[in-house]
This record gives sequence, C-alpha cells and structure tokens, in this order.
Amino acid sequence: MSIALTNATAPVASRVRAYFAPVNRATATPSIFDPAQSAAFPIDTPPAPWLDLGWIANFVRKAETKVNPLRSGAPAIVQTQVRTEIEATVSLEFESWGKLQLALSSGSDQMNLLATAAGAAANGSGGTAAAATPIILSGSTAAALNVGTAAAANFTVGQLVAVDLDYTGQTGFVGSGASAAYVAAAANVNSDINYIRRVTLNVGRVTAIASGILTLGSPLLAGAPAAGMQVSPLTGFCDREGGRFFQEWSALFVFDGEQGDRVLYHYPRLQAAQGSAEIVTALAGTSTGAAAPLERARLAAAFRALPVTDANDSATVVCFRSYIPGPMRSI
Amino acid sequence: MQAARDTFYVALRTRLAAINPARTIVLRGQVRPGILVEENELPTAFQPVDAFSLRWTAARADTSSPMPLVAMECLISYATDGTAGNGGMDRGRLLPAMDGELLAALNQTPHSAPKLNYSGVAGNGAAPVPMATSIFWSQPAFAPATAEGERIARSATVQVFSYQEAGEL
Repeated sequence: MSIALTNATAPVASRVRAYFAPVNRATATPSIFDPAQSAAFPIDTPPAPWLDLGWIANFVRKAETKVNPLRSGAPAIVQTQVRTEIEATVSLEFESWGKLQLALSSGSDQMNLLATAAGAAANGSGGTAAAATPIILSGSTAAALNVGTAAAANFTVGQLVAVDLDYTGQTGFVGSGASAAYVAAAANVNSDINYIRRVTLNVGRVTAIASGILTLGSPLLAGAPAAGMQVSPLTGFCDREGGRFFQEWSALFVFDGEQGDRVLYHYPRLQAAQGSAEIVTALAGTSTGAAAPLERARLAAAFRALPVTDANDSATVVCFRSYIPGPMRSI
Repeated sequence: MQAARDTFYVALRTRLAAINPARTIVLRGQVRPGILVEENELPTAFQPVDAFSLRWTAARADTSSPMPLVAMECLISYATDGTAGNGGMDRGRLLPAMDGELLAALNQTPHSAPKLNYSGVAGNGAAPVPMATSIFWSQPAFAPATAEGERIARSATVQVFSYQEAGEL
C-alpha cells in the first residue's frame, strides 16, 4: 500500500497557546520540553510540569543574535562569519488574567494581598497579615486542605488562599512550587512570618468546605502541602514597578496548525524583561458599530531568553523551534 | 470546492445535532437535523423557521501557496416565529438560543475538519472518501436581527478555507 504525498503548506492557526513551567532558581535548572517525546500532546492537557496559561495574542519572538563577517587581508575580504552575540527576546499579551499571568507579566516578585491583622497600618502592598491557619497533613492533598472543623468556620466558599511555609529567617529563593522572590537578608522582609505566603505562587480558591476540609478549585502548584505550611486568606494580587527580583520560567509556545501540523517554540529559560504593563484595545463591538466604547486590557509581557546547553552537542542555545509536519505532507 | 462545502455542512450538522438533538426539520418526508443547504434543495422562496439554512456566496482563491487556498463565504440564515403555545411571545428567546447553538458549534475546537469527498454518496451511495487536507473556518460574524411581522431572523457569515488538492474540482 502506498499513499501519495500532499504538498506542504505554511502552518495556519488562529492563535498561540502558552505553557510555562518552573525553573529551579537555586540550581538554575530549567524544565526541559522534549518534542521528540511529547510534541503531540492535546492542547488542553499539557504534560507535567507544564502549566497552561491559555491563549496569547501578539506573540512576537525576535532573534537578536549578531552575525558578523570575519575579514582578513588587504584589502580586507570576508573569509567567514562569526556569531558575536547570541540573544533572543519574546513579547506577548495574555488573553486571561490569573496569578501566574500577573506574576510573569509583572517582571518582579508579585505579592498576595493577605487579609490584614486588626489595626494594621496601611501599606501599598498590603498591611501586616493576620495570623495564618495551620494545615493538618492527614487528609490534605494538592486540592484539599484539612484545617480542622473549628478553623474551617473562619473560611468561606469562594475565598482565595495562599499556602506556604512560615518565614523563619531563610535567605535565597523562597516560595513553594516555584521561586517567588529572593530574600537577601531577614531584615529586608522584617522577619515577617507571613512573608513567604505574601509572595508565594502556591495559591488557590476555596470551592467547598466540609468536615474541616477546604476543597480548592484546582491543585496547588506545589502539590500536597508539606509539614509546616499554613493557609492565609487573601483578597487579590499586587505587583510593583521596581523590586529586586526577576521572574524566570521555562516556556513553551504552541502554534497548532489546522492541517495537523504544529510548531513548538521552547525557551528553557525566559527571564522577565519589562515591568508590569497592559495593552488596552477597543472591545470589538457588533457589525452595526453601535456598541458602547468599551476597552479591554490584556497583560503585556516581555522576556529575554537565557542560555542552556544542548545535551546532544554541547551547543549553547537560547531557544528550540520544533516543527511537526501534518500527516502525509511532503518534507 | 464541492468537497469543502459538503464537509463543512456535515461537520456543522453533526455538531449542531449533538448540541441540540431536538432541533429537527422535516424535509422531503424525512426528519433530519435542523440544518440544510439551500442549493441542495428544491428551489423555493419559503424560509424554514427554527432551522439553519446555508448559502454559499463569495469565493476567493490564493494561488501563491503550494496548493491553492480557497476561501468561501457561507451565509447561515435562521429565523423563528416563536412557539404557538406561547403565542409567539418566546421568539425573542428562541433566536438567541439559535445564536448560541451556532456559536457553540463553530467555536468547538478544533475549528477544522478532515476534508471528505462525498461525490460517491450522491452517485451510488458509496461512503465518503477521506482526502489529504482539512478544511478550517473563521469565527462567525453575526448580522443584526431583522423583524418581519411576528418573525425575527438573523444571519451569520463564516469564512471557510480549503486547500485545493491535486485533481480536485
């Protein structure tokens, strides 16, 4: 049996999907996506540890690698070429707002607005937090927190919560699941016991409360709670222009072609390259043009790619582009 | 181009029937999902209500691609008089219901379907033959609703794209 090949065409898709995975900042170890093993994953269910951050708009990637001629002789004649700089940048706009989208687009550490203690002084990123609630490990999972019947009465369905360790003087990268901030000295964070919960990306929303267990709408980034973790309710998120921290994540962007073809852009290490910004566009109205002039704000993010070493040939690279041809297309 | 039209019709019919199996139409004595292609039926000025009617209008071919890419415009019209039991006063609810069904069907991922050649179906009842490419389509553009007496109607336009394969007419 033989099947004739069809001409290969340029991939066509309406938009790009973004997935991110944590980088171990302490060891500078990224999450590596292997397209040889996982390229055909269903668009809605990426393989672990990749997190689906939804559709993105205005995805622009720029290769800023400098290729210069190497000349010799008199008169100088180009003998060959050399790469004098290797660099790449990525910019995009998130279609949805969420904790991770906000953190990535903020560029720096992104704070949880923890419920404050009674009489807390006003502060731009939230006043002194109220005491957190201990977690009972028995009966707790990545999507269920056992806080006991008495403590559960202090929570309500729909509430946002941050789950992480107490700050006890740690220095270096902090935050469970993914590094959320860098602490140079305990004095910088006032030795605040709630500091890690203030910056953690390990957050969720309570969708049910029963028998002392807070059920979350989605699993926590860090998985099942570890010993010593506590829960703090929060009202929202806050980022700042400035700060001392650079977000760094592994990224995967998928251009899913309508002909069964797929282009994957994998940046093992993307570091935030701009502060928080939004792109405001007019909301598309009806064909009559009679719609009220509403505007929509998309989170704008920009990143600079950092290098990794390809295990196959020890080449230092910043991005992998993989193309998976459609079925029975000529190549 | 005919294969692309047929494929789009069947894909849309399958999705609409899954979303609302109760939306049916009796056509030439047969109960079918509530969708038809005007050019495939007997010429008539009658507009069926509570069903989707497809009409192919504009077309454009881009020959710069290794395979010509054909864009065809499909005008999808639908109308409702409401139900007699409610004296037609529910027509304002039934039209948005049809809007929602059409949007859900077209918005389901993927926005594409493998192209099938249905020419044998019309001839000797042979099964459709899979072709090498897929058709794909745009988001629908909804036109304002129009009212005529007790009837309200709307149309939506969808761009349907198809690669013209070797030997395909």
